[in-house]
Amino acid sequence: MKSWRLPLLLVSVLLLATPAVAEPLDRTSLIAALCGGAGQMGEGASTLIATAVSGSAEERAWAAPLARAVLDRDLACDTSGAVLVQSGVDAVSRTPREAGEKARKPLASLKNRATFELADAALALRSAPDIAARAAALKTLERRPANVPEGLLEVAAASEPDAGLREQIDTLAQTAALNSSDPAARIRALSRVADTPSRRALTKVSALTKDPAYTANAEFRQAVDAATARIERGIAIGDVLATLYNGLSFASILFMAAIGLAIIFGLMGVINLAQGELIMIGAYVTWLVQQGLRYAAPSLLDWYLIIAIPVAFLVTAAIGIAIEAALLRHLYKRPLMSLLATWAVSLFLINLVRVIFGTQNMQFETPFYVSGGVPVIGDFIFTWNRMFAIGFAVVTLALTWAIVRKTPLGLNIRAVTQNRDMAACIGIPTRRVDMMAFGLGSGLAGLAGLALSPIYSVNPQMGQNFIIDSFMVVVLGGVGTIAGTVVAALGIGQINVLIEPLWGAVAAKVIVLLMIIAFLQWRPEGLFAVKGRRK
Amino acid sequence: MTRISRDRPFLALIALLVAAALTMGMLGGTPFELSRYLTNAIGQLAAFAVLALSLDLIWGYLGILSLGHGLFFAIGGYAMGMYLLKHSFAVTGTVPDFLQFMGWKEFPFYWAGFDFFPYAVAVAVLVTLLIAGVFGYVSFRSRVSGVYFAIITQALVYVAMLLMFRNDTGFGGNNGMTGFAVIFGWPMGTSATITALAVVSLLVLAGVLVGCRWLVGSRFGALMLATRDDETRLRTLGYETLRLKLAVWCLSAVIAMIAGMLYVPQVGIINPRLLAPELSLEIAVWVAIGGRGHLVGAVIGALLVNAVKFWLSSAAPDVWPFILSGLIVLVVLVFPNGLVDLARLRVARPMGPKRLSAEIGEAR
Repeated sequence: MKSWRLPLLLVSVLLLATPAVAEPLDRTSLIAALCGGAGQMGEGASTLIATAVSGSAEERAWAAPLARAVLDRDLACDTSGAVLVQSGVDAVSRTPREAGEKARKPLASLKNRATFELADAALALRSAPDIAARAAALKTLERRPANVPEGLLEVAAASEPDAGLREQIDTLAQTAALNSSDPAARIRALSRVADTPSRRALTKVSALTKDPAYTANAEFRQAVDAATARIERGIAIGDVLATLYNGLSFASILFMAAIGLAIIFGLMGVINLAQGELIMIGAYVTWLVQQGLRYAAPSLLDWYLIIAIPVAFLVTAAIGIAIEAALLRHLYKRPLMSLLATWAVSLFLINLVRVIFGTQNMQFETPFYVSGGVPVIGDFIFTWNRMFAIGFAVVTLALTWAIVRKTPLGLNIRAVTQNRDMAACIGIPTRRVDMMAFGLGSGLAGLAGLALSPIYSVNPQMGQNFIIDSFMVVVLGGVGTIAGTVVAALGIGQINVLIEPLWGAVAAKVIVLLMIIAFLQWRPEGLFAVKGRRK
Repeated sequence: MTRISRDRPFLALIALLVAAALTMGMLGGTPFELSRYLTNAIGQLAAFAVLALSLDLIWGYLGILSLGHGLFFAIGGYAMGMYLLKHSFAVTGTVPDFLQFMGWKEFPFYWAGFDFFPYAVAVAVLVTLLIAGVFGYVSFRSRVSGVYFAIITQALVYVAMLLMFRNDTGFGGNNGMTGFAVIFGWPMGTSATITALAVVSLLVLAGVLVGCRWLVGSRFGALMLATRDDETRLRTLGYETLRLKLAVWCLSAVIAMIAGMLYVPQVGIINPRLLAPELSLEIAVWVAIGGRGHLVGAVIGALLVNAVKFWLSSAAPDVWPFILSGLIVLVVLVFPNGLVDLARLRVARPMGPKRLSAEIGEAR
């Protein structure tokens, strides 16, 4: 079976490689060829292909329907030329006329059929008015990159208005050049392909090791090997970067979820089990802001993520202050009871949201600044929504640090965290500091919800997915230190992302937990606990 | 024993449990027997009460809050489920659902021997002791306590849930195990079996209650209270609190495991939902509502909360979470020692000095 394919390939490559016709197209003789025997039809098809590559716009528009007409048996040949039956026009002059009495519809042979399909796709790629048809033509060409006529893709790319499709054409051009008959062109193509390493490029290049030229031509073999090595290196770099980037974005989410928890825990020893629900409420507030903008100011809709920042912070901070004033105020000396009380609050909030909004996921617009990404190297894509989360976390970190380190409130928070009784003795209003700090911690949870809304699904249950991870961050980081939270979030985020591809998400969670338990053997109070602060 | 004989609420509860068990046993098969739903509900409540007792032992009397007791409950439940499935398979020849789901031809190798009940119990006890022992040892040795311990136990049960949700673990995966046909040769689902299970659960509850009462009333119980209230001082006096805590922790885990073994044949299903952190938190809520550090309180809390849940989850399922959260807030704020306060008609003022001193052990 295989033996006949190679000669066929060579023949078709030779046919396609006929030098481009510079002289104007002889329309009458082309139609005659199409109506002729198998050999003549083959020549006609290659003329059509040549027209697609180097014909003028007018010629291409004229030739465009012909290949399809032959394939669909829509061309009726009679004594005075041929007629396109469907549209009822003369094939040469395109003036309306009926087909003659003894009209014959030429049938493309099996070999010619492939050439005509190629011609049809080539013409469509050059001259089809709508983008979908051009994309479809490109798909047809992609099926046999070895047969794509030389030069076609270059000119098609040059005239292609759509950037996305142009990129696809360029990719195909590289692939086609890899399979071209000229060894020098193939080697050039190899180095071009290796410039943009990706798993697809690797498959393409490594397929060439089975090419006969690989064993026959030493120069070609060297080029293939060099390209493979370069692409593999690029992919490896890309994978490392992608892991780092994903770990960083996961860490930034963990940090956002945990920083509020850490402030509250450090200050009053209260584990706020409702923190996850405050995150959830932050996301819902973001959704409400989006809906509000949709009705009030549709032109600002894209900026809802920015506009929602103060709203989400203030709403969740207010809820936090309310929880503190109504409940936790009475439970400071009983941290385990406040754990249960905040769990009651979280249960209440989940069900309240469920009753009001239902259990379905909320639909969010994707503003332009969080959609898409930039391919960097290998398969690593620098996505904007993750970048948004990272940037948001960095800004939040800076602001939180500034509040805790540079403001009177922060000074009070640190004093109360270090020694509540002594702080009270020197006149710091510890109860009010508690309230403010609880508001700050809750507001940070609200911001976390906002940062999550472009990445995660937003529903009443979402808070539960973060609460245990953020506990782990707080336990690992040590009570109430910003630095501890940052380092622990980075560590847990990176470890998770490193383990996940190897053994899966569940194993990652198991290993992280075991590592934390092991770590607590060494430092029971966490990474950055200050000695002697808490008993 | 003299002290126990003066503990009227305890004696009343024991008498009530035994009387209920006897009445249900005697009325079984007569026209006066309780409805199957009610009998089953009573049996499940008894299993939950045993679970609450296990947590009260470690939290109320040792001051260690575990938010992962669902793990031990589930170990008992899974062992029971494995026994029931293999037993049913041997008797009726019905292929268990989870084998069909996974397209497996036979049971995984670690299911061997589970058709023999004592073996299933032994494995459950060993696994419970192993997990509780290792985890307890590393935690207590490095003095992880209070909120830290609570969080780590919650993470533990959460991780266990993620593991069991996987279908390839050979324990039924996310669908769990169901379709139990027979238990000890009797068909499941008949009135006689349901009554027998409920009676056994009530008697086990009474037995565990007596055992715990004896333990906390003994010298060992005094040491437990001393550890809760001032561990540092106790250590200074030369007592080895690590071993004491570890022993109570393992005992508590085994009791929770027994509760799981009672629970599963009565609900007829075991799935990873039992390992959800919410269930483990709820156990603490039962104990807190009933009265932490009072065995009777823990039982009453578990019975009360779950009875209300049984009733409301069919009557008004949307309202139940609101009622539960309201109950928690009420108890935490108004009755800091749970409903036991109500029984003594001593409503505490918030943040009273007496309460502070009572809670000081917990703050550490």
